[in-house]
Amino acid sequence: PSAADRNAQACFLNCCLTLACANQIIFCNLLQAYAKFAGAPLIVNTINNSWSSPKADVPVLISEDIVISQPAKILNFLRKQRYNADYELSAKQGADTLAYIALLEEKLLPALLHTFWVEAENYCSVTKPWFASRIPFPLSLYLPGKMSREALNRILLTRGGPPLYSLTEVEAQIYRDAKECLNLLSKRLGTSQFFFGNTPTTLDAFVFGFLAPVYKVCFPRVQLQEHLKELTNLCRFCDDILTCYFKLTVTDG
Amino acid sequence: MQLPLLFSAKKAHGSSTFAALRCPNGSVFSITFSQARDRGRTSLPTIREAFLQMCNLPVRVVCRANAEYMSPSGKVPFIHVGNQVVSELGPIVQFVKAKGHSLSDGLDEVQKAEMKAYMELVNNMLLTAELYLQWCDDVTVEEITHPRYGSPYPWPLNRILSYQKQWEIRRKMKAIGWAGKSLEQVLEDVDQCCQALSQRLGTQPYFFNKQPTELDALVFGHLFTILTTQLITDELSEKVKNYGNLTAFCRRIEQQYFEGHDKDSSATASARCAKRSLLR
Repeated sequence: PSAADRNAQACFLNCCLTLACANQIIFCNLLQAYAKFAGAPLIVNTINNSWSSPKADVPVLISEDIVISQPAKILNFLRKQRYNADYELSAKQGADTLAYIALLEEKLLPALLHTFWVEAENYCSVTKPWFASRIPFPLSLYLPGKMSREALNRILLTRGGPPLYSLTEVEAQIYRDAKECLNLLSKRLGTSQFFFGNTPTTLDAFVFGFLAPVYKVCFPRVQLQEHLKELTNLCRFCDDILTCYFKLTVTDG
Repeated sequence: MQLPLLFSAKKAHGSSTFAALRCPNGSVFSITFSQARDRGRTSLPTIREAFLQMCNLPVRVVCRANAEYMSPSGKVPFIHVGNQVVSELGPIVQFVKAKGHSLSDGLDEVQKAEMKAYMELVNNMLLTAELYLQWCDDVTVEEITHPRYGSPYPWPLNRILSYQKQWEIRRKMKAIGWAGKSLEQVLEDVDQCCQALSQRLGTQPYFFNKQPTELDALVFGHLFTILTTQLITDELSEKVKNYGNLTAFCRRIEQQYFEGHDKDSSATASARCAKRSLLR
């Protein structure tokens, strides 16, 4: 694909991207997508031993001797190494990218966290077993629960509070916000192939990172997925990226 | 149609303001518009006032000490219209829209999506940075925030309440991942946000060209507060001042919507509220 062609950098980065997809499922998808758009050669390793991850913070990018652990920093690092998917964007488009990313984080992320980590049926039947199967015992007993509590904590602290007094009210509000966010994204995408024309950029990576888990993972409780499936252009967007850049149908992570 | 606006301070030391608003057609539609003393949210009053001004809705701002408790969501400022009380920018905008005033009717769907995205950016970055600076930066907390926040109360209540608020804010910062950030990183984020806003604004008078929208009110509120709040250092306001078009934007809105409307201040408000201006 053309993204690889656009990439200017010739030197080879020996990158390992260690994954342990928690709510980092989003970021892992995002980073993989971004790396593919920018043509950065990434080797993706599923985590074998999360003790070795510095600060137990994933995803982690390890390039030669440098270890970087936050998604935004990882993206900056890739850019500085000249794997940049945004060369052809104008200043205004760059600003739009930041704005839409903020929209995703504020409006869509709480509902995603809820779907994966707080919704009891989803958590017990899909997230926890899948996650626990990928990390070593005895972490698998402790870490999923911790992630779940942190997700709930985050949702309540950022969205709870009067006039929403119970968890059900908060949940209703966050799903409303998430659906509104999906509608806004759909309007913005319209009929184009990507958000800024015909080549994918950082924003496409972010949106894909957020949408792909919702789109592809089979949950028992799927209200967000159903709403997403009604927005055909977003589904087409995800499918295009999956077939072009990932060349396989992803189940999860 | 404009009635005089009582535009009193964003920094109402030790007091909060609440406003009365008369409907343009003269009917009894009194709106009480409350703003907090600096409860870590000093920019919000300005945003409300700016928004209501832009809608040509007259607002009168008066001071009250218990505004936070009057508000249905515990957040200030809020507006009081007849029997209804509405707090926070989102619901206020919806409320005003339901009464037939809206700033974003002229936008198409894609522009509305963009406007909402930029509003989230401002909330995400600027608001969180303001909160961080007020409550997580130790020097600022000790010298400015604690005294200001606890000023209406006697000792020891003032210390207890401000520590409680600080703990609450820090918990929230930790949940969203800002607790680990250093001041430099926060300032860098503010810079990035201002750069994005500056690039979006370009040379236009407003963000969506000729007419102001909710986004303009929101950005004005935050930037004005940052530019006029006296803190320990000027680093935050310097970040904003780096972008000439943003300061020009603030000045323009201040001149257009707030100049010449100050004469109607009520005695209580003007006595306790300090006024600041970008035009010195």
